[in-house]
Amino acid sequence: MVVADGLTGIDGGRIDPAVLDGKAVLVVNVASQCGLTPQYEGLERLQQRYGAAGFTVLGVPCNQFAGQEPGTPEEIQQFCSTTYGASFPLTEKLEVNGRHRHPMYERLTAVADTDGRAGEVEWNFEKFLISPAGEVVARFRPQVEPEDDQVTRAIERVLR
Amino acid sequence: MTVAPATVKATEVRLGDRVRARSGAELTVTRIDREFMGRANMLAFVEDSEEQWFKMPALRDGDVELVRRGDAVG
Repeated sequence: MVVADGLTGIDGGRIDPAVLDGKAVLVVNVASQCGLTPQYEGLERLQQRYGAAGFTVLGVPCNQFAGQEPGTPEEIQQFCSTTYGASFPLTEKLEVNGRHRHPMYERLTAVADTDGRAGEVEWNFEKFLISPAGEVVARFRPQVEPEDDQVTRAIERVLR
Repeated sequence: MTVAPATVKATEVRLGDRVRARSGAELTVTRIDREFMGRANMLAFVEDSEEQWFKMPALRDGDVELVRRGDAVG
């Protein structure tokens, strides 16, 4: 499955594949010092709303956008849990664009958004929805709020 | 002696220039996007190199901290 293979968590340990396998996963590159950082609230509400139905958010800290995720793993983890009560898993800090892009993002960024644009992640809080079968089924740009109708409809579609 | 970085208008940044983000991170500009997230009043400087991939947006009429001028023409 595209997201479960060999991902390292924010704590430095391998993310248990059982956390992601067979679930609908919303992969989001996150940052702690971005104007869009309050999107964490909507992401956590999605986690609470759909978590029991086989869904999870997967946060991917990334410092490639204006250096807005500069912290250590411990600082990032504490910020997410203390400030936003985030209960969903976070990976280690990854590169989502460029020559050293993580292999997961090689697959994700090959998928086009609703305007037909594939390629680079545009900014923090870009969202990719992966079906329980492991197929990347939707891509939402950073301005699309986590609880936007188009996001929740897509999640509900893959959870049916 | 430490030379203070210069400040230039965002529209005066050229390919090859070394600029500094507010976070303190620096990038050597290899691409300039003429808008940022659909906003025509903003542009974005990108370094896409073996060293790093890094993106820094700026207001088109704003100032940018220039660390040094590059050699490239663009």
